Amino acid sequence: MSTESQDYKIVLGVIGADCHAVGNRILTSVLTQGGIDVVNLGVMVAQDEFIEAALSEQAGAILVSSIYGHGELDCQDFRARCEERGLTDIVLYVGGNLVIGKQEFSVVEAQFREMGFDRVFHPSADLQEVIGLLKADIDANRPAQLARNSRPLADERLGLSA
Amino acid sequence: MTELTNHRLDTAGFEAERAEILQSWPTGTGVSFAEAVKVQEALPTEKRFPVALAAADAQGMTLLQPRAGVALVREHAALLNGLSPYCDVLPTTIDAYTRHNRYTEAQDGIDRSRAAGTSLLNGFPAVNHGVDGCRRLVDAVSKPVQVRHGTPDARLLAEITLAAGFSSFEGGGISYNIPYAKHVPLERSIRHWQYCDRLVGRFEEEGVSINREPFGPLTGTLVPPFVSHVVAILEGLLALEQGVKCITLGYGQAGNVAQDIAALRSLRRLAHHYFLNAGYADYKLTTVFHQWMGGFPADEAQATAVICLGALVARQARATKIIVKTPHEASGVPTLEANQAGLKATRQMVNMISDQNRVDSPDIQMEIDVIEAEVHAVMREILRLGRGDIARGAVAAFQTGAMDVPFAPARANLGKLTPVRDNHGAIRLFDVGNVPLPADVLAFHRDKIAERALCERREPSFNMVVDDVRAISASKLVGRPA
Repeated sequence: MSTESQDYKIVLGVIGADCHAVGNRILTSVLTQGGIDVVNLGVMVAQDEFIEAALSEQAGAILVSSIYGHGELDCQDFRARCEERGLTDIVLYVGGNLVIGKQEFSVVEAQFREMGFDRVFHPSADLQEVIGLLKADIDANRPAQLARNSRPLADERLGLSA
Repeated sequence: MTELTNHRLDTAGFEAERAEILQSWPTGTGVSFAEAVKVQEALPTEKRFPVALAAADAQGMTLLQPRAGVALVREHAALLNGLSPYCDVLPTTIDAYTRHNRYTEAQDGIDRSRAAGTSLLNGFPAVNHGVDGCRRLVDAVSKPVQVRHGTPDARLLAEITLAAGFSSFEGGGISYNIPYAKHVPLERSIRHWQYCDRLVGRFEEEGVSINREPFGPLTGTLVPPFVSHVVAILEGLLALEQGVKCITLGYGQAGNVAQDIAALRSLRRLAHHYFLNAGYADYKLTTVFHQWMGGFPADEAQATAVICLGALVARQARATKIIVKTPHEASGVPTLEANQAGLKATRQMVNMISDQNRVDSPDIQMEIDVIEAEVHAVMREILRLGRGDIARGAVAAFQTGAMDVPFAPARANLGKLTPVRDNHGAIRLFDVGNVPLPADVLAFHRDKIAERALCERREPSFNMVVDDVRAISASKLVGRPA
């Protein structure tokens, strides 16, 4: 894996009792090709599994998918649970068919932003755009570091990722 | 649990298991088999699923069935009654929590739906509503009702719904595991579905016919016809062994007209071949065609075009039943009106095709030949792996990857087989994985894919597959480069 993708590590999964696997495979493939290091938890992932993986992998973002309509029930208190577990600055994205039935996307978006998600996507979102936003949001969220703008030495990088 | 084999469950073991299952959730205690038989016997003819299928089969008609399910009994009954004038047989789609036996979460969904004044569940939580709630539903409608779901362990769901007068039950030990679960061992789900089939067999022995329908489309995404046919044949054989007599085998639209017509025509023939050769003769076989199960265009007019293509193929191939999609498919659970619109569009198409002559072409015959060669090759390997027992053979075949369903979430599935469309949109094998297909069949697939690659001036790769998965929602069949 390129050193670049080490900088953009995300946890991906389909939440709740949802077993839709196809979009998950597509997302993994396209995000990986876009230079993102994807920790894919697959389908039927509980909130705590997302959080545990983000903690142990030191991921910069969690991408939650939901296509079966129970997103509203499954995503409740996700942000609060992250903060309880010490994930205070994580970027949270959610996408798919998040509610039951065809509803105005702007309403659904507002509802999930209210729930603490940074960005909300519909199923036909442009994945190249998502990759761009994801990298920018992860960068913006990084804790300030000394010499952040200088390139670390190769062996320091290895040390960091070991 | 004894080792899985394809033999009829013995009565004592079945009764002991039943007592345990009915204790597993409070509504289970409302089930009595004697009462259930009475409820089924009291159903008027027009509410019996096997009767509707037999009549359609005899008259060469194609029945229309939507999908529908909401959280509460009264609302669900109103939804079905709103669909009823536009279809022939009714569904009850079960919510996703119930499918995973998560009845506590289903109850939470019921309570929150009540509070919100709208369904927050994607289906009808039949187990939580119990026999009484389900009976109120069956009483409130005037057509046969089928349980449609995606449940690896549907034993309690079957007990409750069949006791309430549902007369058809979808699913199977393979088709409701591989596409619908993550961690469930295949031998366990097959064993649990032997129970469901045995329960249906017990009703048959009491003179009550109940329809069983293995789930045809599997993951609904570029599934090669031979893959779903093998699962359909296996689940048909497993059901027959438990005493099921009324079987509907399914196939999900792939998109290429010749391949889809060939798939439906070959399914009936292959199933009879394997059922009769296994010594079963006392059964009724019908077919069901599922309109496109993959990603849909968000635009409702475009979605309606996808629906109509499916209706054309289903009617041309004389499917006994069509499962109808809606113009809201891209957004998930449809409204009543959207569901009616899908049914109306399908009906119009079915009516216009009905009087037309049967379409035949060398293309269709060639596809039939390929599908038959593929199914026979895989079935031979399954029988070999199971030393003649298809239950054991099915489990072993999924382990080795001799059977492999593309894009499936289950760990029990190897996931090496990768499909891709050819230059005409028919589904071919980009990577056969460990599936033991004959060399000439593999060469055929290779040639067909090479033809497309040449036309698109790119090498076949997983990117081509990704393009194909997204093509129909982007208004095309084949995922060509921009």
